[in-house]
Amino acid sequence: MKEPTVLPTYQAKDFKSELKPIWCPGCGDFGVLQAIYRALAAVGRAPHEIAFVSGIGCSSRIPGYTTAYGFNSVHGRALPIAQGIKLANPDLLVLVAGGDGDGFSIGGGHVPHAIRRNIDLTYIVMDNQIYGLTKGQLSPTSPKGLHTVTSDLGSLEEPVNPLLYTLAYGAGFVAQGTPADMAGLADIIEEAIRYPGFSLVNVQSPCVTFGEDDNQVKAHRAAMKPLSSIGHDPTNRIAAMDLAQQYGKALHTGVFFKNPSPPPTYDALVRERQRSLAEKAVPRERLLDMFVQK
Amino acid sequence: MDKTRKIDFATIGLRDALDLAVLIEEEAKERYEEFADSMEKHHTPAAAKFFRFMRGIEELHEAKLKGQRSELFGDARRVVTREMIYDIEAPETGEPRTHMTARAALEIALGAETKARAFFEQAIERVKDSSVGSLFEELRDEEIEHQELVRKMIAKLPPEDAGDIRDYEDPPVTL
Amino acid sequence: MDDLVIGMAGSGGDGIVSAGESLIAAAAYEGYHAMMTKSFGSQVRGGESSCRVRLSTRRVHNPGSTLDVAVALNWEDFLRFGAELPVSGSTVVIYESRTGVAPDKIPLVGVAPKEVFAVPISDIAKQAAGTEKAKNTVVLGLIAGWFGIAREAILRGLRKKFIKKGEELVASNERAFTMGEQWAREHPLQTPRMMDKAASHAGKKMLIDGNDMCAAAAIFSGCQFFGGYPITPSTEIMQFFTREVWKYGGAVLQAEDEIAGVGAALGASIAGKKAMTATSGPGLSLKTEIMGLASIAELPLVIVDVQRGGPSTGLPTKPEQADLFAAAFSAHGDVLRPVLAPTSVADTFDITVEAFNLAEKYQTPVLILSDQEVAQRKETVDPIDTARFTVIDRKLPTEAELKDYHRFKLTEDHVSPISHPGMKGGNYQGAGIEHNESGNPTASGKMHATMNDKRFKKLKPLQRRRDLHRIEGNPSAPLALVAWGSVAGVAKEAFDRAVAEGLDVKLFVPLLVWPIAEEIYRDFFASVKGGIVAELSHQGQLYRMLRMYVDVPAGVTSFCRSGANPIQPLEVVAKLREASMALQTPPQIPSEE
Repeated sequence: MKEPTVLPTYQAKDFKSELKPIWCPGCGDFGVLQAIYRALAAVGRAPHEIAFVSGIGCSSRIPGYTTAYGFNSVHGRALPIAQGIKLANPDLLVLVAGGDGDGFSIGGGHVPHAIRRNIDLTYIVMDNQIYGLTKGQLSPTSPKGLHTVTSDLGSLEEPVNPLLYTLAYGAGFVAQGTPADMAGLADIIEEAIRYPGFSLVNVQSPCVTFGEDDNQVKAHRAAMKPLSSIGHDPTNRIAAMDLAQQYGKALHTGVFFKNPSPPPTYDALVRERQRSLAEKAVPRERLLDMFVQK
Repeated sequence: MDKTRKIDFATIGLRDALDLAVLIEEEAKERYEEFADSMEKHHTPAAAKFFRFMRGIEELHEAKLKGQRSELFGDARRVVTREMIYDIEAPETGEPRTHMTARAALEIALGAETKARAFFEQAIERVKDSSVGSLFEELRDEEIEHQELVRKMIAKLPPEDAGDIRDYEDPPVTL
Repeated sequence: MDDLVIGMAGSGGDGIVSAGESLIAAAAYEGYHAMMTKSFGSQVRGGESSCRVRLSTRRVHNPGSTLDVAVALNWEDFLRFGAELPVSGSTVVIYESRTGVAPDKIPLVGVAPKEVFAVPISDIAKQAAGTEKAKNTVVLGLIAGWFGIAREAILRGLRKKFIKKGEELVASNERAFTMGEQWAREHPLQTPRMMDKAASHAGKKMLIDGNDMCAAAAIFSGCQFFGGYPITPSTEIMQFFTREVWKYGGAVLQAEDEIAGVGAALGASIAGKKAMTATSGPGLSLKTEIMGLASIAELPLVIVDVQRGGPSTGLPTKPEQADLFAAAFSAHGDVLRPVLAPTSVADTFDITVEAFNLAEKYQTPVLILSDQEVAQRKETVDPIDTARFTVIDRKLPTEAELKDYHRFKLTEDHVSPISHPGMKGGNYQGAGIEHNESGNPTASGKMHATMNDKRFKKLKPLQRRRDLHRIEGNPSAPLALVAWGSVAGVAKEAFDRAVAEGLDVKLFVPLLVWPIAEEIYRDFFASVKGGIVAELSHQGQLYRMLRMYVDVPAGVTSFCRSGANPIQPLEVVAKLREASMALQTPPQIPSEE
């Protein structure tokens, strides 16, 4: 085997905290966590240069299991908080995580704006089509007809399609993964982090307690269809949207869309503006001079 | 799914193969430890105890392989990394269940050993270096031994009663 | 004359507010103390509008009450402003003669002003400038002619305003001004009322409103991030940031909603930057959850609530002091969040710097409870000596502390050094969930009690800050006058008048309106037997809060009314007189036996 010229600075274990996950044994999120460790090791940023923000839900516990600066905020508000962090310090690597309820229900209004603003951050949604933390209620991605404690007779609503919806809003990077293919998921997350701009990774992460017995990680392994295996061109947004319509019917994994010529990010534009205006700054204590009636 | 990445078995040498073996054991050890912790946290003691036991076994193997490696190659730099492998001998994260029986836990281990055995068998077909070949054969045989060990443990278990824990346990808790 | 209050009203097309702006700018340039408030109908453009300008040779504390001069471009619009533009018998009334109203038939109920002038304002404008649109310039000429307000300064302002469009426009406006002036001279007042000259410090005074002052003070304090959503009457704060903050390495995020605005500001604070958001009542309701997050995660954050009439949309362009309960109490769980209230444009600077200092020092959200009047009125302010301010930054962990860092370490002063992403060794988990000293989640009742205790105790010293409470008058006076926010300026004038009248009264103005500084109030009320708490809300919210925390003497009552009904200094004096009378012991009637 060839000697690599530079050994990786960080290994997956450098991102693992001492806190033990409280997730139910068998939860899909365990695999997602492993994938995140790997992706972070591959990206190679020091843990203290990473800010990892989440909302509320089982999956939102995830920052605490990493050695990054974590922030387990309030329900649905991880994206705005993460954007504030990135704008305040664009040198940081900013990750956002949460569940489908956090991202597409209570916090759904923030998603299009994070996308159109295009601040460089990576949003990992652990989509399990159910509210686990509160004991199995209907979620925004629950399939129509699903029987849950809040849809005893079957749900009457169509689910949100996270892939189609983010593609339509113009996201520059949209991918899907499953913990059943942990290494593949790690690759996707790494690629998402490296993408300069807003990136979404929707992870089909089954709920072992409230999900269907025949729709667990093992079943995903059989069902998953890597996009690379069907010859999908990830630079083709229309083709991606076509495939995204299979959400809920087929388990496609990989990159649906990656903008081949990413526009400058919002944070880069902010930096540029700061640089170009810095010399126009009067000393802070003289700021009020502009109001003097001379 | 390819569970080893950037590893070319046709050209792999003994040092890298040993390092790879160490990492495989390390991964399995850590996974069993996580399972044991998780089982303890979720009040599933029999499974926890067994996973803890498996963790010990994997640790022993890891130590043994590490010893071999250091005897043969000293502390020469390691070039294979954990990122090149996944889930080879480690049981899969999606497998355990709260309140699982000891038998179910053992079956997870049996599955993992079977999976590892298949991995080494496939690798053996591809390697050209004879010393690597015999290392992998040794490792495969160990997996077979483990399979036997686990099978025996399963056989010794008292028969499971007919009750399903899911019919009796408390409902999940709202957090 | 040393004090002049001018009220003007018309439709937006009359440009009456522009005339007010020209007038106050000239007055500021001349060195007068001046104040200007504006009031509008609900139309974005083309509605009725009014302004009130007060100029004085002395420092003024409020925009004045009864008008000395009333200018009506049409009567319907003027009357819509009702109590905001009160006229008395001694008011000089100037109106557009084209309204067809006879000077003895002006539609004001219950008053008969002695000096009323129907002026052909539009005709003069047409004649002088070739367009009736120059009406507002004619009005400036009339005011200069009758009240002697520096013509040079006004002309200078007109030149500045119109020169962009060429000399011709400057010249025609100069003619309109001069003809207005001329008209006034030809129709002198029965009682001349020429303004005294201002003490000469021309070209030194600032002319600024409370929102700009707040934003400038924030940047002075080192604020580098603003996240918010447009909402009247606070938006000018965000607008100032969008012009200036980049120069100081900062950024603004106009968010998709109020929640995202405060969320982004909180994020910037997590990242180690001083950050703020600004809103009004409806937005405050939306931001409440994240404010609670800032409390439990112990993060510095400044939130401005520019109060307007409420609840809900209420009266978006009018002042009210009815968000005090919300500012202090709107939180789930046990939360103590300091609330500071500016009383003027000038002290908005002090209050804002203080808010950032408290936020940074105690790692807490701090609310600035401004109101529409303080925020949007323009005021002359003498140059601020910024050297007298100390800017406090959050306490960062030392190298040694970073070796074994615990974000929420229990310390003697209950404040724990705070790290931020990018700081090696400072990695921690921030959260809305209860946590232990390291920041890890806990469901332990004992730890929850410990942490609640820490979060309350760290703010204890705040309640002993006498400098955040303005107290004036005889310390042993039996009469008390308490007021906060914009009403404090009215109370100050009332207090001065009452003292001049011989009432034994003292004044209390809290700048820190929450937590209630119990000891400071207790000391103040020790000699008090009667008095009033004056405020602009239906419930009298400060009065109610004082009764929760302090033994308010029984003779102290609430003098309050709903927003958009300005409290006048003379009313306050009358209330104090009543309170004083109530304190007189009735004479003992000797029995016949």
